[in-house]
Amino acid sequence: MTNISSSAVSAEQEGPLVPETPQAPGPKARPAWRSLNFGPRMWVSLGMILAIAVLAFIGPLLYPYAPDQKVGGLYDAPSPEHILGTDNFGYDVLAVLMASTRNSLINGLLAGTLATLIGVLIGVVAGYIGGWLEEALMGITNIVLAIPAIVILILISMSLQSTDIPFLKGIVGLALVIGITSWPWTARAVRAQASSVATREHIDVAKLSGARTGGILVFDVLPYLASYIVMAWVLQLASAILAESTLSMLGLGPSGTNSLGMQLHWALAFQAVAVGAYWAFLPPTIVLTLISFALLYLQSSLDEVFNPRLRRGKKKNLARAAARRAEAARKLAEQIEGRQEVTA
Amino acid sequence: MGLRRYLASKTVWYLGALVVAVILNFLLPRLIPGNPVDVIVSSLGQGGASSEAQQRVYEQFMKEFGLDQPMWNQFVTYLTSILHGNLGKSFAFYPTPVSDLIAQSLPWTLALQLPAIIIGWIVGNVLGAVAAYKGGGWDKSVFTTSLVFSSMPYYCLSIILLYVLAVELGWFPPGGAYSLGNSPEWSWAFFTDALQYWWLPFLSLLLINIGGQAVGMRSMAIYELGSDYVNYSRSLGIGDAKMTRYIFNNAMLPQITGLALSIGTMVGGALITELVFNYPGMGTLLFNAISSNDYPVVQAVTLIITVAVLVANYAVEILYGFIDPRIRASKSGEK
Amino acid sequence: MSGILMRASNVTAVYAADSGQDVPAVDNVTVEVPEGQILGLAGESGCGKTTLGNALAMIANPPLYVIAGKMEIDDHEIDLGTLSGGANQLHRPYRGATVSLLPQGAMNAISPTLRIRDLVVDVMRAHDRNTTKADALDRATDRLKMLEMPVRVLDQYAHQLSGGMKQRMVTVISTLLNPALLIADEPTSALDVSSQKALIEMLLAMVEKRIMRGVIFITHDLPVLSMVTDRLAIMYAGKIVEAGPTEELVNNARHPYTSALLSSVLDPTEETRTKHVLGIPGSPPNLGNPPTGCRFHPRCAFAMPECSLKEPQFLHERDHSVACWWANDHAFETVPMEVNEA
Repeated sequence: MTNISSSAVSAEQEGPLVPETPQAPGPKARPAWRSLNFGPRMWVSLGMILAIAVLAFIGPLLYPYAPDQKVGGLYDAPSPEHILGTDNFGYDVLAVLMASTRNSLINGLLAGTLATLIGVLIGVVAGYIGGWLEEALMGITNIVLAIPAIVILILISMSLQSTDIPFLKGIVGLALVIGITSWPWTARAVRAQASSVATREHIDVAKLSGARTGGILVFDVLPYLASYIVMAWVLQLASAILAESTLSMLGLGPSGTNSLGMQLHWALAFQAVAVGAYWAFLPPTIVLTLISFALLYLQSSLDEVFNPRLRRGKKKNLARAAARRAEAARKLAEQIEGRQEVTA
Repeated sequence: MGLRRYLASKTVWYLGALVVAVILNFLLPRLIPGNPVDVIVSSLGQGGASSEAQQRVYEQFMKEFGLDQPMWNQFVTYLTSILHGNLGKSFAFYPTPVSDLIAQSLPWTLALQLPAIIIGWIVGNVLGAVAAYKGGGWDKSVFTTSLVFSSMPYYCLSIILLYVLAVELGWFPPGGAYSLGNSPEWSWAFFTDALQYWWLPFLSLLLINIGGQAVGMRSMAIYELGSDYVNYSRSLGIGDAKMTRYIFNNAMLPQITGLALSIGTMVGGALITELVFNYPGMGTLLFNAISSNDYPVVQAVTLIITVAVLVANYAVEILYGFIDPRIRASKSGEK
Repeated sequence: MSGILMRASNVTAVYAADSGQDVPAVDNVTVEVPEGQILGLAGESGCGKTTLGNALAMIANPPLYVIAGKMEIDDHEIDLGTLSGGANQLHRPYRGATVSLLPQGAMNAISPTLRIRDLVVDVMRAHDRNTTKADALDRATDRLKMLEMPVRVLDQYAHQLSGGMKQRMVTVISTLLNPALLIADEPTSALDVSSQKALIEMLLAMVEKRIMRGVIFITHDLPVLSMVTDRLAIMYAGKIVEAGPTEELVNNARHPYTSALLSSVLDPTEETRTKHVLGIPGSPPNLGNPPTGCRFHPRCAFAMPECSLKEPQFLHERDHSVACWWANDHAFETVPMEVNEA
């Protein structure tokens, strides 16, 4: 990396992909990240994610029952000892829920990150380098994209189910399968962005100064895609968690462990809904819904942060401004009444 | 690029995707150590069948499904039979042809999904456009509700609705597609009976679709609201109703694409809802096939899901080619 | 000079910024258009000329709010304010029929899924529900013939027209209802030279044929303005600083800003070769926090101590008005141009 190209980056750190939000016309300039204006929606979604993470990772340390400990009979109703009752195996539902949430989050993180990494790698290489490599990579991407991911997932998982390798049947194996089947749309989206960045001037400066392609990709191209990649990653997390639960409910879930999908799978298989054992199926349903909602809400609020055009004024500010404006109009009217007119 | 070249290139790409999909569909189940027949026969063994009987079944299945042939021959056989519409025979319900099982299941799925997608699309688009146009409290409530529904896993809503409306309140029958003792037939009595079972799964899919479409339409319409033609029409004194129409027309084009694509995902888009409601469609068929290792049925279902998606995508691209020369020009750059 | 066609007084408009603070873009401006004349409105980008145009065309939309202003035109007296909920409905009948806008960037002014003829019908019907399709099209056809434009354009979509044709078509639609006043906002800036000429000739012909009875021509293109307009008004930082007959203003600028603006333009005349192009030092002020007194004083070569203290009032000399302390002290004197060079 040479001096010239790195200064080109720092000079334009904001990057056009993160359009500048209209600066408040105050006397003091705020640091760039302050002007990003993280709205309340962002904090709400982050708060929800944090709460779920606490349930998944801290909860099991404090809770007295293990998820594989038989503490009661089939669908014992909630009681002071077992606040969410027991499931079809007589396990404590809350203990199972915490273990399931943890596994589903781990699965989502692994699969989502893997898919994002593959997608970004393919997208950036194709978009930046172009030529036949781009043609080939995007050809593959579009073909894989056209085939519904769920189909490939079902077929691969079904094969894995009949292998004898426990690793592949477990949560990590499932995450790998989900990761390597869900990268294409990230690759396509990143490619479009990368090829627009590739035509910018600072890339020419970096090239002229003798920087190597790898260096340019990492230091001059990737920073401009950062906001985009973060949003894609959040979506990949959500879709990986949902893919796991879909597969599990179809009977292709990780065998021998807990996950939100498996918990629902067993609840459905043992007629929890029909017999009204709400404590067995509602908790995983609600946690899944919350995870999915929080991640998508986070993504859409990130989108508003990065694309101010989508943003509509904050309600509180709007109301205050409207009141002030009405006041100004009243004052102006008074002034105009009592004054000789000025004419142009 | 001319229309002819555009069509040709799209056709080649989609044919390519189809070939890859068929190969994967054929290959993936065969990648496991041993073969599907081993699995099914060993499960017979657990069921207590004698080893002699197992051996007989094994040989019969190997022959019947051509699994004693080399892989390449198997593929050619597979290809020829699906080209003839022959999807093979079910393991679990041997010798019922897979196509019979599909023919029993597919109508149920279509009956749920088609109205849910189309009505959801219409209602969702209207709601989204109105929310974007009115802004304020309307926008806030419609947008938040739609966002909740659209970001919720569809089967979670199914489970909640089933529990609240059917099990607790008893407004709807709790699962199934028709009353016990009834069997599918073309009669008014059967239709009204099935309709009672249809409402709840339909509703759960409908709400999800409305949510998704409304969110999409809202952001399209907000984008359009800021455009020059809206401002200009306003300056000409054109009324709000007319202007909403302009916005709607322009925001619609991408939404029509969305409709075509969701019709493509119709078969595979509600698998779990059917499971939740125990509705005898493709989802339930797939679930049962998976749990009984019925590979021919699984492969047939995945193939149908794939083909539906590919056909819908292809149709959209071709339609675009005809509708708008500008889109053709700009899209042809992107493979 | 004949009577006054339009008089807008005390127009004040603000932009609501994201922070919740309001930025005044047009500050208590009063402007007149005499019957049958073209008024040029000039100034740097961001001086509020487009905002004033939008306020007068009654199309202010959040985040722009017109908080005060009254327009007298024909026999109407219109409250330009957009704060009350009913303002949009109150203004709608006037838009297009009494005051019409020829927008900046007509490239996207017509919905891409609409044929020109559909827009024509919609515009006519918006003001008279009973107009039949045939009547509307007849009128448009007659108008096109009168302006020697091809009639087949009516059957086309906007993207099928060239830039110049699109802009002229938009002009025809804007004036279809014979509005009293046309506000042309940078109508020529996106066009090539020959299309610019065609558009200007068409506008002049329309005024000639009394299709509209007055025009406000907004641009930063001073050569075009001096060619087309009868009167000029110069805006700076949300206020009009000088207004008067075009010739008078060009030859006898009374405000240092007008003078600086004029001297920053190359005029293809004999003397141009020997003249220096003078820029205006500094940049336009932040409207959220404008300078005290005369808003131009930080950039003004003639600034005096009082300029930063008190806002200058308008000084009327015949039909030439100027708001400047220097001009107050130097009655009827032209601002000396060369001083800037020092």
